[in-house]
Amino acid sequence: MAALAPVLEDTSLLSRLDRSLYRLERVLALLSGLAVFGLMVLAVGSVGGRHLFNAPLPGYVDWIQQAMPLIAFMGIAYTQRDGGHIRMDILIGALRGRLLWAAEFVTTFAILGLMVLLVWGSWAHFQRSFDFTAPMWSRDSSFDINLPLWPAKLLAPVAFCVLCLRLALQLWGYGRAFVLNLAEPVAVPLVRSAAEMAAAEAEHVSGADS
Amino acid sequence: EEWNVSLWGKRRAFTEHVEKLAELVSEKTGGAFTLNISYGGLSQNTENLDGISIGAFEMAQFCAGYHRDKNPSITVLELPFLGISSLDQEREISMALYDHPAVRNDLARWNATLLMPSPLPQYNFVGVGEAPRTLDDYKGMTVRATGGIGAAMEMIGAVPTSMSATEVRQALDSGVVKAVSFAPHAHMSFGTIETGAWWTTNLNPGTVNCPVVVNTDALDALSDEHREALLGSVDEALDHYIDYYNNETMAKWGPALEERAIEQITYSAEALATFQQAAAGPAATAWIGEMNDRGLPAQELYDFVIGMIGQ
Amino acid sequence: MEPVDIGIAVSLGLLVMVVLGMRVAFAAALAGLIGLVWIFWSKKGYDPADFGWALSVAVKTAGQVPHSKVASQALSLIPTFILIGYLAYYAGLTRALFEAAKRWLGWVPGGMAVSTVFATAGFAAVSGASVATAAVFARIAIPEMLKAGYDKRFAAGVVAAGGTLASLIPPSAILVIYAIIVEQDVGKLLLAGFIPGVVSALIYAALIMGLALTIRGFGPPVRGFTWGQRLHALRPALPIVFVVMTIVLFVYNPFGGDAWGTPTEGGAIGAFVVFLMALWHGMRWNQFKDALLETAKLSVMIFTIIWGVLIYVRFLGFADLPGAFSDWITSLEQSPMLTLVMILLAYAVLGMFMDAIGMLLLTLPVVYPAVMALNGGEFVSAADSTFGMSGPMCAIWFGILVVKMAEFCLITPPIGLNCFVVAGVRDDISVQDVFRGVTPFFVADAVTIAVLVAVPGIVLWLPGLA
Ligand code: NA
Ligand code: NA
Repeated sequence: MAALAPVLEDTSLLSRLDRSLYRLERVLALLSGLAVFGLMVLAVGSVGGRHLFNAPLPGYVDWIQQAMPLIAFMGIAYTQRDGGHIRMDILIGALRGRLLWAAEFVTTFAILGLMVLLVWGSWAHFQRSFDFTAPMWSRDSSFDINLPLWPAKLLAPVAFCVLCLRLALQLWGYGRAFVLNLAEPVAVPLVRSAAEMAAAEAEHVSGADS
Repeated sequence: EEWNVSLWGKRRAFTEHVEKLAELVSEKTGGAFTLNISYGGLSQNTENLDGISIGAFEMAQFCAGYHRDKNPSITVLELPFLGISSLDQEREISMALYDHPAVRNDLARWNATLLMPSPLPQYNFVGVGEAPRTLDDYKGMTVRATGGIGAAMEMIGAVPTSMSATEVRQALDSGVVKAVSFAPHAHMSFGTIETGAWWTTNLNPGTVNCPVVVNTDALDALSDEHREALLGSVDEALDHYIDYYNNETMAKWGPALEERAIEQITYSAEALATFQQAAAGPAATAWIGEMNDRGLPAQELYDFVIGMIGQ
Repeated sequence: MEPVDIGIAVSLGLLVMVVLGMRVAFAAALAGLIGLVWIFWSKKGYDPADFGWALSVAVKTAGQVPHSKVASQALSLIPTFILIGYLAYYAGLTRALFEAAKRWLGWVPGGMAVSTVFATAGFAAVSGASVATAAVFARIAIPEMLKAGYDKRFAAGVVAAGGTLASLIPPSAILVIYAIIVEQDVGKLLLAGFIPGVVSALIYAALIMGLALTIRGFGPPVRGFTWGQRLHALRPALPIVFVVMTIVLFVYNPFGGDAWGTPTEGGAIGAFVVFLMALWHGMRWNQFKDALLETAKLSVMIFTIIWGVLIYVRFLGFADLPGAFSDWITSLEQSPMLTLVMILLAYAVLGMFMDAIGMLLLTLPVVYPAVMALNGGEFVSAADSTFGMSGPMCAIWFGILVVKMAEFCLITPPIGLNCFVVAGVRDDISVQDVFRGVTPFFVADAVTIAVLVAVPGIVLWLPGLA
């Protein structure tokens, strides 16, 4: 939830790549936020249509189901970049120096392996719903108003690919930190104590209220 | 040899044929071939055909209407106002249709072979407020009816509203919808009869078609003895299913309605003819057009089904 | 190895990965994927020639989960509830609430602290997240309590504890997550949280008043507001009532007649109302963009855990581990109530080390079926059940108990997040101070949980009406 990204920056190639990718990730995350806003508008449309015009939005549920993958997947790399996916950091928070970077490298590598496999798996899921020869290229459709599902299914492998790029950059960052024995490497989220995290969060929230 | 079977929900009338099949197969093979039935553990119900295609499990049940584009050919049996009147007729026509080459090819895309149907009675409406006695009474009425039935209700002027099955009871309680179409067992399990004031006994706007399929490779890999044990048990399993549905579920339905003093609306033959004229014809025409675009012999499938109903 | 043994081995592996600091969502997904490969390969007798097949089937099985589980109408409540919380800051609702609570309740013993508790309870009715609530009130309420002469540790403790109310009183993201995992009615669970949330607040207030009456110099009451001033303070707080009424009218119309919609619509319309208020209060595009980005980030964090854990759950389904655990729990030769209490205590311990959402998502797939089996099964009637409630009602009751447990863990050391947040806002208050100040509230929470266990009617009355 922290507003401040605990990721350091400099003029190295790695850091420049990090920031370029971050811009893309931010756009995708904003898309996801706009989809949440879209849900709101959709509900207003559905309720308004029903009460004012006795004309409910056809396939309201189907449309929500189409919007959900946008919300759920598009920000996944953005969140990984800032270290926003939760973990238990009692142990890793106690590590310092090379031991820390080695531990981060290993878990990040495991995640990259997982995500490459899931790109394959979610792509296969998309492919089963897609057929170039069929009307609307659709081989799988929603329950009520028969919307094609392939666009929503495609979002998963696309977002996962961006995450794989992000993980590759982080591997580079951790690897470099390990080799050069850096204290404060760029392009990777640094482990912060719970207190530091809380301070960042509190700063974000209170900034809004005053 | 053990097959995994992916069903969903809990054991109920709707799954009795699979349970029976498992019992018979195990019996006939002396326990050498067993069906390990899982309720929801192996897949989500809308992904059962995907699981079969992947080979994650060997047998599964699904409903055609969940995903029309996955199985366009068998949605012919979900057309509104077809006029199918009994579970036996539903079974007979389904089994014949499942053997049609166009249908076999359609399911072959999923590496699936259709084994047997799960015949369900026609859907009908439970509703609140003023009961609809004529076609005109449906004009402007908000109903929860999905897929083909929803489209048909729209043709006669009703306003179909979409929501998940779990929100239906609340929607009816609160008047978001005035009527809900389900098969009787679903009306009982989703609690619509606790609120409802009336029930249409014979509007029969349609039903869903929910086959049980097997993974074709797994079926081919069975020894002759095991395959015979499986395929040879289908008839008995279906007999058991229909018995069970008629004697357990439908036997409870009448008293359940009477207990709650729910008014039973029965339409005259002329009234039904008006409904069918307004909705059945246009829906069938639309279906045939769309399915032709999908490269299916749509007219042939439709005539095949109508021909069997007429017999 | 039998599938159940594979299930146990992989679950232990998952535990190791989580302890080593791998991000929970990915650790769960990886454990699930490895487990699936293992299960499918074991089916072929570990023939090396079949490993490729097993891998492919496992990957494709896991690859379905993210889309198919996330594309759900009920889950859409989570991002809308999160968005409501962020927009509520911009709508200026927090300060208004505290001011009104102070003028109306300040005169009781421990008045400022009691006002803080009820202001957080009021804010809980628009906020879906505990940590955010604690952060906001640390800034607004603590200075006023210090001015009134309260001990700074206690003032911080009140805010940390009051913040936890946000997850019981609807809207609540964590209750929605519970409902999704156990496949129960979201609307009923949200309704069920309301009275326990209010009871929690009342018990907090009673505790504060008790302390104020027994400890000398605890913090004087705040008197001297005229009725005019009181009524005047209500006006800016009224929008909260309006939002709550909107959500309630959508779920259950207390005036009789038709409700206006379904819970999904209610959540979204509530968010829309707060959005309009924030606009009216002067929210700019940049602030709105921030709110959207923060909502996206928190939502994607939650959704990633959801699909990650559900890949693990899919594997558990193939391994049939939940079935085996249920059989074991129901075979224990002790009273089922004792077993339930022990499960709750286990959550208290686990919660000391883990994030609430991660904890629930990781444990419920195995624990929930066992609790349901303990009660006599998912579809048992009240008459045939162990705890005297039907399957769905037991699911609701257990959900509220577990969420209250998880909230309790937000204020317990060593990583009670609410305490860190409060300490983070105030430079003059250390984390140790907050933990000291919040200690009396452990008693209050223990009492609340005992009351909810002993009198399930508190939880079940409201959902029983709907
Ligand atoms: Na709340
Ligand atoms: Na904790």
